Amino acid sequence: MTEITNTRLDDATFDAERREVLQTWSTGPDVDFDAGVRLQEALPEAKRFPLALSRADAENRTLLQPRAGVALLREHIVLLNGLAPHCDVLPTTIDAYTRHNRYAEAQEGIDRSRAAGTSLLNGFPAVNHGVDGCRRLVEAVEKPVQVRHGTPDARLLAEITLCAGFSSYEGGGISYNIPYAKRVPLERSIRHWQYCDRLVGRYEEAGIRINREPFGPLTGTLVPPFVSHVVAILEGLLALEQGVRCLTLGYGQAGNLVQDIAALRSLRKLAHHYFLNAGYGDYQLTTVFHQWMGGFPEDEAQATAVICLGALVAKQARATKIIVKTPHEASGVPTMEANQAGLKATRQMVNMIADQNRVDGPEINAEVEIIEAEVHAVMRQILKLGRGDIARGAVEAFRVGVMDIPFAPAAANLGKLTPVRDNHGAIRIYDAGNVPLPRDVLAWHRDKIAERARAEGREASFNMVVDDVRAISASKLVGRPAA
Amino acid sequence: MLEAVSEYRVILGVIGADCHAVGNKIITAVLSRNGIEVVNLGVMVSQDEFIQAAIEERADAILVSSIYGHGEIDCQGLRDRCEERGLGEILLYVGGNLVIGKRAFAEVEQRFLEMGFDRVFPPTVRLEDVVELLKTDIQSRRPLAYGHNSAAFGITERLSA
Repeated sequence: MTEITNTRLDDATFDAERREVLQTWSTGPDVDFDAGVRLQEALPEAKRFPLALSRADAENRTLLQPRAGVALLREHIVLLNGLAPHCDVLPTTIDAYTRHNRYAEAQEGIDRSRAAGTSLLNGFPAVNHGVDGCRRLVEAVEKPVQVRHGTPDARLLAEITLCAGFSSYEGGGISYNIPYAKRVPLERSIRHWQYCDRLVGRYEEAGIRINREPFGPLTGTLVPPFVSHVVAILEGLLALEQGVRCLTLGYGQAGNLVQDIAALRSLRKLAHHYFLNAGYGDYQLTTVFHQWMGGFPEDEAQATAVICLGALVAKQARATKIIVKTPHEASGVPTMEANQAGLKATRQMVNMIADQNRVDGPEINAEVEIIEAEVHAVMRQILKLGRGDIARGAVEAFRVGVMDIPFAPAAANLGKLTPVRDNHGAIRIYDAGNVPLPRDVLAWHRDKIAERARAEGREASFNMVVDDVRAISASKLVGRPAA
Repeated sequence: MLEAVSEYRVILGVIGADCHAVGNKIITAVLSRNGIEVVNLGVMVSQDEFIQAAIEERADAILVSSIYGHGEIDCQGLRDRCEERGLGEILLYVGGNLVIGKRAFAEVEQRFLEMGFDRVFPPTVRLEDVVELLKTDIQSRRPLAYGHNSAAFGITERLSA
């Protein structure tokens, strides 16, 4: 493989690659770009994702979006139509076999689901249903639909779903590799996502705006804000280079109110800083907040409380969109009713916070400063490693551990960075591994962790980290030792 | 002490196309801390990879995790395959969110016991309890020929049962 660079794919390369991509499953040859453009042009305004986002942003509203996907088309339509009255924009969550391009196994899942009379897949296998199935889905619902998945090579999935009228596409070459795959080289997934972004760029050039959303929460477990911010900024830059113009950057709830508000506020500012400095001016930027992505309490009332804390923070920090969890989270894929319950609880919370004054103060400002210092330090090193090119820099940074995502399954991730909660539940750096954080920032983290260690009468260690990971499902934010 | 180094050795992994890595790392940490040697295959492990590792490592048990809902499909036939490869007696544990949707655990447990698993755990299980069960189950399967102190416990337990 030639070395990856952050440059726009030229037409000849893209077209040759497209011919190959469309041959990778039997439904591929049905993709017709011009027909896709015509279909997207004909979509009513109510079904256009970028429009929903820009209106919400302008009117200071927060959109709610669930996760949902089942194996069969008819059942999936029923599910989305059951959720639509309670949310603003719709998802289509893709099953795990499709995410790994295992379409034959997805087909087996479809067949077995038909025989069993219930979905045995954890999502909608859009590639197997093809352009025609996906088009029928978009026709049958009244709101914009986004593809939500976790696919390192999502080229065929993008071709099929965008051609069928989906108007938003989640993912990115880093955020859909490191937390979602085991042995996919990072340069390969980045390259495959350049294709997806270029495809969106082509739609943009044909007058069709498609929203792109890098996946914010990563592993969803004790991820320090600077880590997910750096990934969001890198994937934003990679997408802009390929011609994407409508970006939604994400952040997953960490748990501490002050840190979460600071994180979401700093994300927008930092992204503009890097995008504008890279020479991009003409883009639309919004944010998405993910309610708690870690382990949930099994009890549904307790789970609802976790959901509400996320809703509060998201609205207080003025996220454009919230990805909503359900009271069934601890048990896996939720029923439609559980999904509705999560949406209703979130709506109630958002409505109660909407008119309230903005919470501000020195504590939030201090967190913002720390996050900014961390992001700048890592971005500087990434640019240096890539000799000015962020694609090359990103690959190098993960290889040497300058970028490091806690608890990630990918071999491409060093896994030395170790986070732990402080005495107030904010995520701090216990071991920075090879991440080049400034000395004063590291000292700050150390002091915060020492404060907790004193309070608990034990040394900070990996035991503390393990306790933290298990804490929320056991009804606490910080994993304290048993009294 | 009876618990010498590597007295208990298990294969751990997340089966199928499942990439949930957090619980996997936590289980490794807790088991290792409690005297069980863990050969961790990580996420996205196939049935054959589990079995191959169990043979190579002479493991006492295979611990299968599944969080993403496809467990029912992914685990089908694992016991048969173990038997084909000469591991018919190996301990098979499975745990996590094993099926799609919220179903009564007793029903899920029954389903997986019928599939040939020795123990089935919900995601909320206390890992310290799993450690105890694992040690007991491994000991009770140790043959007499081991001539090992701890094997005696297994035998008395079986006799008294």
